[in-house]
Amino acid sequence: MMKKMCAAARAGRRLLPLLLCCCMLLTTACADGRMPDGSAPGQGEAAGTASGGGGQAPGNQEIITIEEVPGYSGEPYIEINGNEPDFHEAGQAERKESFERYSALDRLGRCGEAYANVGTDLMPVEKRGRIGKVKPTGWQTVKYDFVDGKYLYNRCHLIGYQLSGENANERNLITGTRYMNVEGMLPFENMVADYVKETENHVLYRVTPVFEDDNLLAEGVQMEALSVEDNGEGISYNVYVYNVQPGVTIDYKTGKSSLNEEKMPGAGEDDAEGEIRGNSRSKIYHCPGQAAYEEMADSKHLVIFGSEQEASEAGYRKAKR
Amino acid sequence: MIAIVCVDDRNGMMFHSRRQSQDRVMREDMLRECRGRRLYMDTYSGDLFKNMSHEETEIVIADDFARRAGDGDYCFFEKMEVERTFLTDRDVSRMEAIIMYHWNRRYPADTYFPINLSDGCLSDREWKLLRMEEFRGSSHERITKEVYQRI
Repeated sequence: MMKKMCAAARAGRRLLPLLLCCCMLLTTACADGRMPDGSAPGQGEAAGTASGGGGQAPGNQEIITIEEVPGYSGEPYIEINGNEPDFHEAGQAERKESFERYSALDRLGRCGEAYANVGTDLMPVEKRGRIGKVKPTGWQTVKYDFVDGKYLYNRCHLIGYQLSGENANERNLITGTRYMNVEGMLPFENMVADYVKETENHVLYRVTPVFEDDNLLAEGVQMEALSVEDNGEGISYNVYVYNVQPGVTIDYKTGKSSLNEEKMPGAGEDDAEGEIRGNSRSKIYHCPGQAAYEEMADSKHLVIFGSEQEASEAGYRKAKR
Repeated sequence: MIAIVCVDDRNGMMFHSRRQSQDRVMREDMLRECRGRRLYMDTYSGDLFKNMSHEETEIVIADDFARRAGDGDYCFFEKMEVERTFLTDRDVSRMEAIIMYHWNRRYPADTYFPINLSDGCLSDREWKLLRMEEFRGSSHERITKEVYQRI
C-alpha cells in the first residue's frame, strides 16, 4: 500500500499569517441564517483556530493547524488538525435537518464561511444554471494553453452545486484556479455527494475561504465534513486546498497572473531524464518516475518516444500515476 | 483466491481510513459474481452486507480473511490493514483473478490498489482482461466492472 507522505516530511514549511475571512465576519454579523447570538453556526473557534498550536498525532505524524499551513509543494491539498473536522458546536437539533447558510460579503466584497448540513433534500434535481453574471473578488478573465479548459479561473462554488443546488449565489462563489476547483475541491465534494445519495444520511459540511490581509483572491479554502447519523464513520475530513495553478504565478492582491515556465507541468521532464515509454496495446505512455515506467522497459508492447508531445501526437495518453 | 476491489479514476480506494464510496447495486452485482462460493471480508466491509439477502453466497467475516481464503474463494478488499490482511507478496501471488469495480469518479485517496490494471501495463505479462461490463448504480451514474485473470 502507498500512503501519502506524512505532513512533517513536507518541505518548505512556513508560517502564514493567514487571516480567516470568518474571523472578520465575526465583527460584521449580518449573514443569512445567523444564530441568535449573531454568529454564524460553526463560526468562531471551529474553522480557524481549532486547536491552537501544532502537536503530535499518533505515529509521529505532525498535526498542522490552519495557521500553520505550509506553502504549496505539489499536492493540491494538505490535511489539517490530523484530518479531523471540528463541528463540536453543532447542536443535536441542528444535525437532524438539512440547512445551508452563507456569510454576508465583507467590506471588500469577499465571501466568508459557507456552512451546510447536506441532505438529499438540498441536492439539485436540475442541471446547473448560468453563473457567469457573478464576478467574485479577484476575478480576471485569462487563458493559458496548458490549463485544462484554458481559463485560469473558475467561479468556484464553496458548497458545490451537486450538494446544495445553489446556482449564482454571490455568497457562495469565489475566484478559484482550475486546479483548485478540479484537482482540489471536486474530489472532496464527490465523496460527500455520493455518500449522501447512497445512504440518505446527512453530512455537516463547511468551506471557509482564506484571505490574507486585504487580498482579493483567496489563498485557499478549508474544507471540513462529518457524516451525522454514523458519527463520522462514513465521512470525516478536514483539509486545506491551495488556490494555485502549476505554471502560473498569481498576485493574490488582485488576481493578476503571469506565466512561470520553471513551474509549468512537465517542465524539465523531457530532458535527459530518459525516454517516454508507450504501450502500443493500451495506447498509454509512461514518463520517468511514474509508477509503471520501469516495468515497461521489457514489455513486448514497448514503444519509445522522444517527448510527451511526440507520444501525444501519436494518439497516446499519459498514465494516471 | 479471487480479489474484489473498488477504485476511483486514480486507483484510489480509501481516504482517512474510510471507503471512498459505496453502492448497493454494485454489492448486489458482487453477490451474483460470488454465487455458490465463499466471499471473505473483514468486519468493516461486513457492515455493508448486513441488510442484504445472500442465501446463495456464504459470507465469511474475519480480520485475517485473506489468509483463510482458499482457491476459488472470493475476497473483498476494502479497508486494508497492511500488516494483517492485505497484499503481502504472498497474497498477490495467490490471486487467480481480480474483479475491479470502477466508480468512474474522482475522490480523495491516501490508499491505492497497487496493481495498475487500467493502464494496461502489468497486464502485459500477468493479467488478461476477460470481460468488462457497465451498469448504473444506486448512487453512481456508471460503474464499470472488469474481470482480469492471471496469465
